[in-house]
Amino acid sequence: MPQQFDFPKSQVPALKLSPRTIYIVIAAFFALWLLDGIYTVAPDEQAVVLRFGKLHSVSDPGLHYHLPKPIETVIIQSTAKLYREEIGFRTTDPGPPARYVQRPHESQMLTGDENIINVEMVVQYQVTSITEALFSAKDLGAFEGRGEEGLVHDACEAALRQVVGRHAIDEVLTEGKLLIQTEIKEKLQELFSKYECGITVLDVQLQTVGPPKQVDAAFKDVASAKEDRERKVNEARGYQNDIIPRTRGEAQKTMKAAEAYKIERVRRAQGDADRFRSVLSEYKKAPDVTETRLYIETMEVILPKIQKYVIKGDPNGSLINIINLEKLGLGGSGTSGEGK
Amino acid sequence: MRPAVTFLVALIVVLFGANLVLFTVNEIEQAVVTQFGEPIDEITEPGLYFKLPDPIQKVTFFDKRLLDYDASPAQVYTKDKKILVLDNYARWRIVEPLKFMKSLRTVAQALRRLDDIVFSELRKELGQHELHEVIATNRADLMRLVTERSDEVARAYGIEVLDVRVKRADLPPENEAAVFDRMKAERNREAKAYRSEGDEQALTIRADTDLAATTISAAAYEVAERTRGEGDAEALRIYAAAYTGAADFFQFTRTLEAYEKSLDEKTVLVQPLDTDFFKYLQGK
Repeated sequence: MPQQFDFPKSQVPALKLSPRTIYIVIAAFFALWLLDGIYTVAPDEQAVVLRFGKLHSVSDPGLHYHLPKPIETVIIQSTAKLYREEIGFRTTDPGPPARYVQRPHESQMLTGDENIINVEMVVQYQVTSITEALFSAKDLGAFEGRGEEGLVHDACEAALRQVVGRHAIDEVLTEGKLLIQTEIKEKLQELFSKYECGITVLDVQLQTVGPPKQVDAAFKDVASAKEDRERKVNEARGYQNDIIPRTRGEAQKTMKAAEAYKIERVRRAQGDADRFRSVLSEYKKAPDVTETRLYIETMEVILPKIQKYVIKGDPNGSLINIINLEKLGLGGSGTSGEGK
Repeated sequence: MRPAVTFLVALIVVLFGANLVLFTVNEIEQAVVTQFGEPIDEITEPGLYFKLPDPIQKVTFFDKRLLDYDASPAQVYTKDKKILVLDNYARWRIVEPLKFMKSLRTVAQALRRLDDIVFSELRKELGQHELHEVIATNRADLMRLVTERSDEVARAYGIEVLDVRVKRADLPPENEAAVFDRMKAERNREAKAYRSEGDEQALTIRADTDLAATTISAAAYEVAERTRGEGDAEALRIYAAAYTGAADFFQFTRTLEAYEKSLDEKTVLVQPLDTDFFKYLQGK
């Protein structure tokens, strides 16, 4: 109590350090020291109790007691928590909208056929053995509150590259993706088991998988070439769908027209023949008269329409006569009679 | 008052004394006891231990857990003279702290030594394999070999090398450009193939179409002409049947009919008067 020197006039008597008081104080400190050993474990946590540094027990959620320091110490850790490891990118803001930063050095890798590809991956894992996680490996990563680097991250990168390295680029880009995810998961679990670090891999997911930007255009061109192929085929099918039915229609038209022609020819012939027979049967009754009548009737029809020059005498006499007459007729001063 | 003070003093002395001669080794630790600087004993199990007070015996603690060794990326030549930029890591632990303490003393020193061991083993091993083996086929075996050999060497320092692993194996930038060119060429080839296939299929379909159309037209023509011929033949038969036996009359009526059809106003007819039709114009 150094304050006594600062307040000499104080009427408060000095603390009476009776043995009783001292024992009480010691007992109080001792009690406080003992009470320090009370601890609670939350439902998603596990606690490890160390006695003189050696693993003594693991306690489940609930209220517990351990012998006070330095005899026993307790380490409480979350076990239900899911951890997430990102390869090739980092989420800078979980959003929404989420924001990411690329890590090209992590995502770019060689494939089995010596092509270069970008792969981004997310691994989810859980700490299933707290004692292993705490005691068997240093620099685990997120479990120890460390962010980026650490054993988990290294192992993820190694497993990803090793598995992608076994596959050709087209497999990684397309149909092999699921298989690759499974292989990575197995590989990763194998590594974690080897390191005895108490981690269980829950899920491996390949995120963006694509060609590097230097060759991106060429890959896109392949996709558009595929579409070009489809387009060309579709256009040809369109042509086919246009031409074939129309041709069939025209064929029908041609055949029907021929059919019509046939019918016309036959029926007309039949008609002509019947008419002829009828006329003939009448004609036979009076051939001369009928012939004359038919002749005159026809002339009656024909002659009014045509230009006629009637010559007296022998028509075979001179050709020149005929031509002259014709010219005269065309000159407009006809000497001969004309029709109408 | 006296017994109380005595008790306090005794307590303090006991605790102080205990602190001098007792020490705990944690689950994640192991320890080496040195006497006047000379390592004399190693403790690998956790617990409470006794030693002589400080100036005589001292305790040095080492991590017992798996430790990280992450090398900086380095270039390695493969058997086919290609350069690979390797970024590898190793997981190792101190298994014999006494030996470790005698040879390397600190973890920093150990990392430098591991750098030598692991990198030289890697370089030796990769130099015997071609690039595609390193990348694709053999990586697991290679790494197991490197791990085993590194481990053998490192045991002399009380170190176990559990796992050497290639984190990244990339081509140097100048080789990357060549790879990109090759990739582009491959894709261009593929794109061309798709386009040509498109042409092939389209042309085939069009040719098939034209063939089918021509076939249909020709078949229609065949049928049509045959039909016409049948019509013509039938008509001929009908006419022939009707006119047989009346050739003169047919000629007469048909000629008259033809006159009617063929003579029009452009026709100039020069006729002598002594035809049948005009004979009455001459008078008798």
